[in-house]
Amino acid sequence: MAKGLTWTIDDADHMTQAEIYGEVLTQLGAQNERIIALTADLAGSTKIGRFQKDFPDRFINLGVAEMNMMGMASGLASVGFVPVVSTFAVFASLRCAEFVRTDICYQDRNVKIIATHSGTSFGQAGTTHHCTEDLAVMRSFANMKVIAPADSYETAKALTEAVETEGPIYMRIGRSFEPPLHKSVDFDFEIGKAIQIHEGTDITVIACGRTVLSALEAAEIAKQQGLSVRVLDMHTVKPIDTDAVLQAVGETRRIITAEDHSVIGGLGSAVAEVIAASGKGCVLKKLGLQDEFAIVGYPEDLLHRYGLDGDGIAEAIQQVMKTDFEADEDWEDEV
Amino acid sequence: MSTRDELKSRLFLRVALPLTKVVREEDPRMRRLTRNMNAVVQFAVKGTETGAHLIFADDGLEVVQGIHEKPTVSFTFKNLKSLNDFFAGGLALPRVKGLMRLDVILRTVPLLLSLKMLMPDSDPKDPAKRALKVKLLLYMVTSALSQLNKAGEPAMAKLVEKSPDRIYQWIVEGGPSAYLRMKAGNTKAGRGVYTRRRPFVLMKFPDIEGAYQVLTSKVPLVEAVKEGFVVTEGAMEYSKEIGIRMQMIEELMAA
Repeated sequence: MAKGLTWTIDDADHMTQAEIYGEVLTQLGAQNERIIALTADLAGSTKIGRFQKDFPDRFINLGVAEMNMMGMASGLASVGFVPVVSTFAVFASLRCAEFVRTDICYQDRNVKIIATHSGTSFGQAGTTHHCTEDLAVMRSFANMKVIAPADSYETAKALTEAVETEGPIYMRIGRSFEPPLHKSVDFDFEIGKAIQIHEGTDITVIACGRTVLSALEAAEIAKQQGLSVRVLDMHTVKPIDTDAVLQAVGETRRIITAEDHSVIGGLGSAVAEVIAASGKGCVLKKLGLQDEFAIVGYPEDLLHRYGLDGDGIAEAIQQVMKTDFEADEDWEDEV
Repeated sequence: MSTRDELKSRLFLRVALPLTKVVREEDPRMRRLTRNMNAVVQFAVKGTETGAHLIFADDGLEVVQGIHEKPTVSFTFKNLKSLNDFFAGGLALPRVKGLMRLDVILRTVPLLLSLKMLMPDSDPKDPAKRALKVKLLLYMVTSALSQLNKAGEPAMAKLVEKSPDRIYQWIVEGGPSAYLRMKAGNTKAGRGVYTRRRPFVLMKFPDIEGAYQVLTSKVPLVEAVKEGFVVTEGAMEYSKEIGIRMQMIEELMAA
């Protein structure tokens, strides 16, 4: 975390991922007067109200005009500001797609898009407010970096890194009270470098966002069944940590990806691309929404429904462990 | 499930006997002794299909399981126990066919006797011999563990039955390596380093001497880890299971 920040891990006990984002943004704003916060009538929901209160001159509410907001952010970046744009993921990635692509990514502008209410984290608001396509869309834009922090601690670190990193960045966070994954802030965070949360040699679960905690829970369940599960927190979906993926392929040869997102175009696809390019054989199962829209419900119920909670991932681990992918295996002892 | 005698004969014929090939490759004296030899030397149990034969041809040696129809020399034992006693260094007199080819017998017996270096009381001082003993022991342990499973030995079979694809790897820095792969009831003993996945359990010896001390049980494993003779990584609770089977193998192959 940047020098001088007063945010502590204790705050995560009573603050949501979005609230932590708002707090950290305010503290970063105090250190860096080039930071400007922009919202489209969602300052309250995206939790940047404190920034507005502390730095009213650097806070712009454009009303319900998300596309304009992206264009304005691009303009502000062109004259040296660091615009941090906050809105719901579904608006940031889908409604604004062309503006993000052309005004921000094509110009390679230093804009940070913080997309709250991502995945199914706003489950009860209905399918129109879910966002299970944003990783796919944003990942396809040249110059764009895509981050999905696992919890509040990671959100704080990721935001700090993002502000210090030149170029467009899309960061998706949740809406609800996502439980913490990390036990403290004492871990290294680097954009593009996965964090190994749990060591294992039988199978690797690569997850991002809220599902990293589910993967860790699944690893504990699997341990009781005698399985050794590696869990990678792939917080940066683009650029993906190719080395960590290939190491997992080489060392465990069974991979599961888990994301609160469609299995098309997101983390699972990014991992699959790395594997395919390597020419190495392995089993890959992608967990997420299987080419469908999520139903309406509470986030934890939706995670369960789509096999993204600890039990669901543990079940997938059992399935993948039964997959036999080497028909030509030779069991004759070497003598 | 195999009887104790069946298990023992399996270990002698499928694990120990094939090590003659390694001895021949590594020991210049044995290589000289069997140079350009063309013969088949068989060890079999009378009236059964249990047996194995050494084929010396083209200045090489192959160890093949099963009965050869026309061996040059054959050692036929009256029963499994007798064969086991012979290989364990005990008193057992087989019926020998092919005595006219005394030259073959005289060249083969020293090769067989060289396997005595696997015995616990053999403690060669020559560094080359110690290195050879380490290699033989590594190959023997991994093959024997695999054979225990293939013979259906209950404890080993249980360990392997539900095992995911797992590698138990032994590595001697600057020396030999061997591994045991197990997966869903199958096992394979292999030589070298398995590169297609990370070992579930890794026992790495920093040098030949450390490996010698541990593999000959001169230093208990716990003390060996403390002294740095061996570095272990991975699921140690499973390495304990393997250690128990290794002890069992030692008992089975003792006289």
